[in-house]
Formats: sequence, structure tokens, C-alpha cells
Amino acid sequence: MNAVEIKGLTKNFGPKQAVSGLNMTVPAGAIYGFIGENGSGKSTTEKMICGLILPSGGSIKLYGKDYTDADVRARVGVLIEAPGCFPNMSVWNNMMLQASNLGIKNSETEVQKVLKMVRMEGAAGNKYKNCSLGMKQRIGIAMALLGDPVLLVLDEPLNGLDADGMRIMREVLTDITKDGKHTVIVSSHLLGELQKIATHYGIIRHGKMLCEMTAEELDANCRTYVALQTKDMNRTKALLACKYSRVEEDEAGYLRVYDAKSPEEIVTYLYENGMLINEIKTDKIGLEEYYIDLMNGGSSSAPAKQSHFPSKSKEER
Amino acid sequence: MTASRELKFESPSFIKRLKGMLGVDFYRLFHTPMFYIFLAIAAFIPALILGTTGMSNPDGTVSEPLYTNVWNAIAANTPLYVFEDMGGYANMNMVFIFGGIMVSIFIGHDYKSGYVKQLFTTHAKKQDYMMSKSLVCAFAMACMCITYLLGAVVAGALVGLDFSVNFGSPVIAIVSKMIMSLGWASLYTFLNVIFRKYFGVSIASSFLFGTGLPIIAIGMIVGNSAGSFLNIFLYGSSVYACLSANIVTLLVCLVVSVVWAILYNVFGSLILSKSDVY
Repeated sequence: MNAVEIKGLTKNFGPKQAVSGLNMTVPAGAIYGFIGENGSGKSTTEKMICGLILPSGGSIKLYGKDYTDADVRARVGVLIEAPGCFPNMSVWNNMMLQASNLGIKNSETEVQKVLKMVRMEGAAGNKYKNCSLGMKQRIGIAMALLGDPVLLVLDEPLNGLDADGMRIMREVLTDITKDGKHTVIVSSHLLGELQKIATHYGIIRHGKMLCEMTAEELDANCRTYVALQTKDMNRTKALLACKYSRVEEDEAGYLRVYDAKSPEEIVTYLYENGMLINEIKTDKIGLEEYYIDLMNGGSSSAPAKQSHFPSKSKEER
Repeated sequence: MTASRELKFESPSFIKRLKGMLGVDFYRLFHTPMFYIFLAIAAFIPALILGTTGMSNPDGTVSEPLYTNVWNAIAANTPLYVFEDMGGYANMNMVFIFGGIMVSIFIGHDYKSGYVKQLFTTHAKKQDYMMSKSLVCAFAMACMCITYLLGAVVAGALVGLDFSVNFGSPVIAIVSKMIMSLGWASLYTFLNVIFRKYFGVSIASSFLFGTGLPIIAIGMIVGNSAGSFLNIFLYGSSVYACLSANIVTLLVCLVVSVVWAILYNVFGSLILSKSDVY
């Protein structure tokens, strides 16, 4: 079963079309990394999934039911932008209010449990307005976790988190999806962090789904390259450019050759041209580079496609 | 995947949903200083009205008392849909104006804090929200009626006003006005749902409707004696709940208040359902 199935989703704000015929499939048990530029329609799509804004067209199904069904909505946890908390109330009271809205029995135990999950039990007595941005994000996650949600929709949950906060967030998200029951849709601009946890990806651009893929597919799509350093980088670059079509210098000061058959081929070629190599290695582009490449036309990645996954969770893989 | 197929979704009952939401709204009401400030304002209004009685003017003369009887600070002797001086307006109906501002602040805070966002992403339905706000705000306005009464009694006693009237009528008038709180709270909730993105407009519209100006304008055309049909409106019924009130007055107020509350709740729910929440 798919946790989320979206077909032909459209949202117009006056003459502006924020989301345009978007299709999206999120398998149950997945951590779905939802990626896109600012203004690409990520948040709008997430808000529609959460029922905060009404679609202009198309359909959204959550676990096979219409997204407006109260029974399925009761099992959706959400963090959009920032948690909706009353600033003058304590973290604990804000959590208890949400627990009351959700009709949770043993609300105190439940609130304690989720605060502990995000390592915020010590800050329960703090006024919400006195919490730092990172703390507020963690409170938002805790609030989203109330009521044992099967689907979590998190919009930029990593914003404002320090390294420890990000680690905690990764642990929480991977822990809750271990059993295959819980599904997470998470959007973030921190693609490196996202790559550490996501099992599936969806890349959106101008309100349309550019492509969807599993983590394995991404891995296969990310091209390998040979990175090297020599004493004379300018001459090396000129030499390599004569033989290879794509040679770039990266931020770390390495020359990257994307279309070499092997490192040995480059070593031989440069040796024949009187150039000695200081260091050479093979590597793969990461999600961030893949994404940037895709946005720039997709030369180093698989062609953009609109695909649908087989229903496959992290557990099965 | 097997695990996901075993997932069970339970539809929370209406009672369970409303109970949870009412719990939150009552908690918020009792834990916000705003509620107590408005209770104090309600108590202070009759004190201001009655406190001017017998005050000395700059020329040494003593001002004409606005009321000689304390119960006139609660309601007029007979329904006055159109008043000739401010004295005719200065009674418990003023609670409904301040109540409107209180409702605007209460609901405005829901949107400002992002609470509605947190709420409507759960199983909460729009009609639950309308009902919960209407009921809680009606309770708050009924409490304001009580503090108004206490303020009037204490100020009246201090000034030495006459308390002697047929005691049955003020009780029915006060209870009728308290019943009207439900209709008024629903109207204000409705207005605040319409203007939810514009806090200033919400307050201004609540104030305008709270003063009853649209009904007063109609009353000026038809006159006090022909104004009984105005009782079908909230302001009309609130005026009808005067010191000469009887059990029929109470029933009229009950029916008018409940019917308008239902109408405003239905229309408010429709507006919320047909528009983006946030």
C-alpha cells in the first residue's frame, strides 16, 4: 500500500499556478525526501496533503482514503514551517493542548514519551517564546509525533538545528520508520543531511514532479568521477580537456574527470604527456550535486523522468 | 509492508472531537489575562455609568443623575430599539460590544500563533471549531454579564440608588441577556472567520455589529412602537430583554439566540471548508 498517492494535483493562487498536475507516490514505510528550489511548490503540496489549503484540482489519497477523512487525518502528524504554539504557554502546556485536541488518553505519559524522543524533556517547563529556533523545531517534531501518527509531513524540520539536533532528528526519523508502519515526507534544503536518511526522493520544479526515485536509483544515477591533483593544475586541465569532454575543478582543488573509463587510463595519459600525479581517487557525486546538475539540465545524471516506485520500504530493501 | 496493511484507522466521534477542542479552548480562556481584563471592564462599565450620579459640575450645580434606579443600568423599562440619548444605550447590552472585541482577540490569537494550522491538520472539523469557539466565547460573555451585574449592584449601593423594583423582571432580563450571549458569540466567531487574515477588520466589524447600528438604523425608520419585528435579530432581542420582561421574552431570546447561533455556525463552517485555512 502507498501511504500517499497524488494524481494531477493543481493549486492556483489567482493567476499564478503554484502546483501544476503533480503526481507523487510515497510508499508506506518510506522516508521520502521532497526536494525543490524555493517557490517550486513543495510547501504548497505539503499543505494540501495536510489539509491546510484546498487543491484546485487532482486527487490526494492517504492510505487509500481521501485525505479529508477524519479517521486517516487522526493519524497524520505535521510540522509545517513552525509549530503552532502559544508563545506565553509552557512547552508542556502546548503539548498537552495538542494531546487534548487529538483526544489522547494518558496524555501526560504520551507527552513525556515524545518529548523524551526529541531530547526535550528538560525544557518542558520553559515558556515556548523563550525557546531557541532549534528547540522550537524539536518541539514541532514532538508535537507531530503525538497520537502515534502513521504519516509524518515535515517541512524543513532541520532548519535551525545544530549538529546534535540534526543527529537526534535523524535518529528519531529512522527509528520510527523501522517497523514499516510509519512513513515520513520530509522537505529540506540540507540535501547532505537528507541523503543520510531518505529512502525515496521526489524532485519538484515549477510545480511539477521532475522525477521520483529510490535511494538505490539515486545511487545508480549519481555518476562516478576521477579526482586528481598534480603540481601544474592548469596544464593538467588543458591536457585532460583535449581527451575528455567534461573536466572541472572542484572547491577542494581537485580536477574532476567525469567521462574517464578508469583512473589508470588517466594516469597513463598524463604520464605519456610528462605530467606526474600527486593524488588520484574515484568518487561519486552526492545528492546535492546530482540535484544541482538536474536543475541545470541533467548532464551528469539519469534523464529526468516521472516514475512510480514499486511499493518498497526501507525494511524490504 | 505486511505491517502497513494491518494499520487501523478509527474515526473519532463528534463528541470526542468537540470535547477535546472545548477542553483546549476553556483552558486557554482561563489561562489568558485577556479574559480577566474583560471581566473587569464589564464590571467597570456600570460603575462609570452610575458613578456620575450626583457629580458636581464646574459651575457648582449638581448633574442630573443618569439613573435613579439601579436596575436601569441593566436594562431599560420597556424595549427601546431607538434611543434618544446615550442613557438609553448605557445598559448591559454594552457587554456585547466589548465581548465582540474579546472574541476577536481570542480567535485572532489562534491564527497569529499558528494554532489553527496545528488544529486543522488533525481530525478536527471546521464545524467543531465554530461550535467550540461559539460556546466558549458565549460562556465568557455570560460571565461578563455577571460581572456587569455585580459592578452595577456595588456601584448602585455606593451611590445610594433605589433598588426597589418588581424583582421578577430584572432576573428574567439578565438571564435573557445571558442567553443572548450564544447568538452574539456565534456572530463574532463568524465575522472573525470571514476576516481571519485581517485582525483589524475583525475587531472593527465586531464593534460595528455589536453596537447594533444596522438594527438601530432600521428602528429609526419603523419607530419604537412598531419595532417588535426587530426581535428576530440579535440586537432586537437583546433590547427586548428589558425590565418588563416575562417568560415570553426569555423564550424569544432563547429561540433567536439558538437559531442565529446555528445559522452562523453553518455558514462559518461552510466558509472555512471552502477556503484555505492558512
